[in-house]
Amino acid sequence: MATLTLDHVSKVYTQKGLPPTRAVNDFSLAIEDGEIIGLVGSSGCGKTSTLRMIAGFESITGGEIRVGDRTINRLKAAERNVAMAFEGYALYPPLRVSDNIAFSLLRNRMPKAKANERVRMIAELLEITDILDLYPPHLSGGQQQRVSLARALVRDADVFLLDEPMSQLEPHLRAKLRARIKEYLIEHRMTSVFVTHDQTEAMALADRIAVMSEGVLQQFGSPTDLKERPSNLFVASFIGEPPMNILKGRVGADGSARRVEVEGESGRAAFSIPLPARNHVPELGAGRRVQVGLRPHKLIVGGGSPDAPPVRGTVLSNQWLGDQTYVGIEVGGCVILAVAERQVQAAVDSETSLGIDYAALHLFDEESGVALLHGADLLPAGSGARGHGSETGRG
Amino acid sequence: MAYLEARGVSKSFGKKKVLDGLTLELERGECVVIFGPSGVGKTVLLRIIAGVLDADAGEVWIDGRSVTDVGPESRGVAMAFQNFALYPHMDAFENIASPLRARRLPEEEIRKRVQDIAGLLRIDHVLDHLPRQLSNGQKQRTSLARSLVHGPAVLMLDDPLRNVDAKIRYEMRLELPRVFRKFGSTVLYVTQDYKEALALGNRIGVLLDGRFEQIDSPQAVYGNPVNRRVASLFGDPPINLFPIRASRGADGAVTAAIGGHPLSLGAARDRLAGKECVLGVRPEDVALSFEPTGNGIPVELAAVTPFNVRTVTLLKTADATEILASRPEDHSLASARGHRRCWASIDLDRALFFDSRTGARL
Repeated sequence: MATLTLDHVSKVYTQKGLPPTRAVNDFSLAIEDGEIIGLVGSSGCGKTSTLRMIAGFESITGGEIRVGDRTINRLKAAERNVAMAFEGYALYPPLRVSDNIAFSLLRNRMPKAKANERVRMIAELLEITDILDLYPPHLSGGQQQRVSLARALVRDADVFLLDEPMSQLEPHLRAKLRARIKEYLIEHRMTSVFVTHDQTEAMALADRIAVMSEGVLQQFGSPTDLKERPSNLFVASFIGEPPMNILKGRVGADGSARRVEVEGESGRAAFSIPLPARNHVPELGAGRRVQVGLRPHKLIVGGGSPDAPPVRGTVLSNQWLGDQTYVGIEVGGCVILAVAERQVQAAVDSETSLGIDYAALHLFDEESGVALLHGADLLPAGSGARGHGSETGRG
Repeated sequence: MAYLEARGVSKSFGKKKVLDGLTLELERGECVVIFGPSGVGKTVLLRIIAGVLDADAGEVWIDGRSVTDVGPESRGVAMAFQNFALYPHMDAFENIASPLRARRLPEEEIRKRVQDIAGLLRIDHVLDHLPRQLSNGQKQRTSLARSLVHGPAVLMLDDPLRNVDAKIRYEMRLELPRVFRKFGSTVLYVTQDYKEALALGNRIGVLLDGRFEQIDSPQAVYGNPVNRRVASLFGDPPINLFPIRASRGADGAVTAAIGGHPLSLGAARDRLAGKECVLGVRPEDVALSFEPTGNGIPVELAAVTPFNVRTVTLLKTADATEILASRPEDHSLASARGHRRCWASIDLDRALFFDSRTGARL
């Protein structure tokens, strides 16, 4: 229930006889009061180190961490008024579940009746009322994780830190608990930061997401920003499930008109995508090598239009998954995955058209991976989704 | 007679009965997925059919002969496991060729077969690479090529995509059906991922408590499940389950209350009148509207959680009944915070009714 600011924070681990490891590098993040933030990245990217520095379990090597106007990075963990749920749960084995949850409330001298009421409420939310009298060693991993979450969320703290909070949740509970927790965090205006390796979870819960790689912030933006305006190839391929199709290609030119020439795995030309001659097409030098990203669910199987130039391909597979359909299409030696909302009439081995909606298209520099073009910008004003409030880190 | 049959197969480990007299039939060229949560005996069944584990009771028939007492090497089956180990000192070609060399096929034949399968799996340009020079996806394809190259009559795959990264998993899911088809393989495929089961199976056998609860097409196990347990195993977010009591109103229509709101179930549900049952509604069959609708249940929009290519919403009725709804990705909802009044319409034509005691479909 306060802002949280990370100001040029660094973490360097030194170990005798080894070169120092820079786990977190000049990391800045301004989190608003009541905002829910996801820290994502593959293992070793520095996300957990960052969380532990906020909590006070790791010292910082450089920079400053503030809660509101208060600098906290020199305070002990217990003095920071920060609640944390640990990935390994860290429950007190000799205490019953209810006492584990109530522990810090009673330590802070909350009247017993009020503490009990709070425990009951959070237990209902996390579906653990039937295990309140049990001891942690008797619980399954999923139950322990829910207790650990309850113990953190029940507190009155300035900032809530959750480390892989839902990794062990039972699959049948996951969607509902995710939604309930989000509702609870918003309703109580709880400033929270959670770490996860699972981008699906981050997209579901967070107002904004910080994507990290090798200790460096890649992008900080809303789920919509990250999906539609990824700042580089790392973010583009990390965010989204099924993942973005990534193909190799180059920019082709015909007078002033530009097109994207996509190559198959063997390096031969597979197909090309004409770019509209509109003023806002950024400068793309002819012959420039690029990585071509195509978002599966924005491609149109059997379709095509001026804003979604069609290519011809062969249907490899047509897989209905209940609430969506995956269609694999081979175009000139490239395999492209498209996702449709409903069942699709496209027989395997038949020819079909695939509409490359500009909203699906992203171009990245082949070497640096920096985004060069988001196809949504090619659409006439008003028809494409527009990003907002995205801060881009150094990629 | 089916091409492959497991008849009345039972297996216990100590006092624990893992397989309880189950029966499974596969037609030639069919891919059947054995699906169920972990620990239900999927791998045990696979190993019994392969002949590497003996059943306590029951028989296995392949192509019209009983192979119950035939060793695994003579059953004409190939089995691939979760980890596809390659010989590190052999290039991709030799790795794929190894089962053919063991069978002492002529060099010309070996070359042709390896080229064919490598082309199909898109690794023909890396056949001279050693495993360490291959990407993870290429390694996966190489080992799959090796298990397919000698044209086994039955191919058994035990959760082969479980430990691979997402990109490879998606690629392989798209391409495996075509590979199976080109080779005419009869395939038994084990997974605990319902999406993989729907994507790959011509039919899916849902294994629970040592028996198949249902063996059916993907459309049937999802849309026409035999009971509540099967219904709950498919779909993410899972199916909504509402305990209801159906009653006949003054006008003769059968109605039930969801979240305190009466809903007409329609004339076709006449037989439900007076019954306690559970109404199952998949999240994609709940439509959300910000204007009152004819049969819409008044709800509060409690939370919006984007979920891959869809947007999932948690809705709460006046009596705190929760409804999960799912719709194609909708950015207009994405930044919604705080409660909002709306209406949830349930597509009752697609709703499922289960007996509240047994869970069986009504």
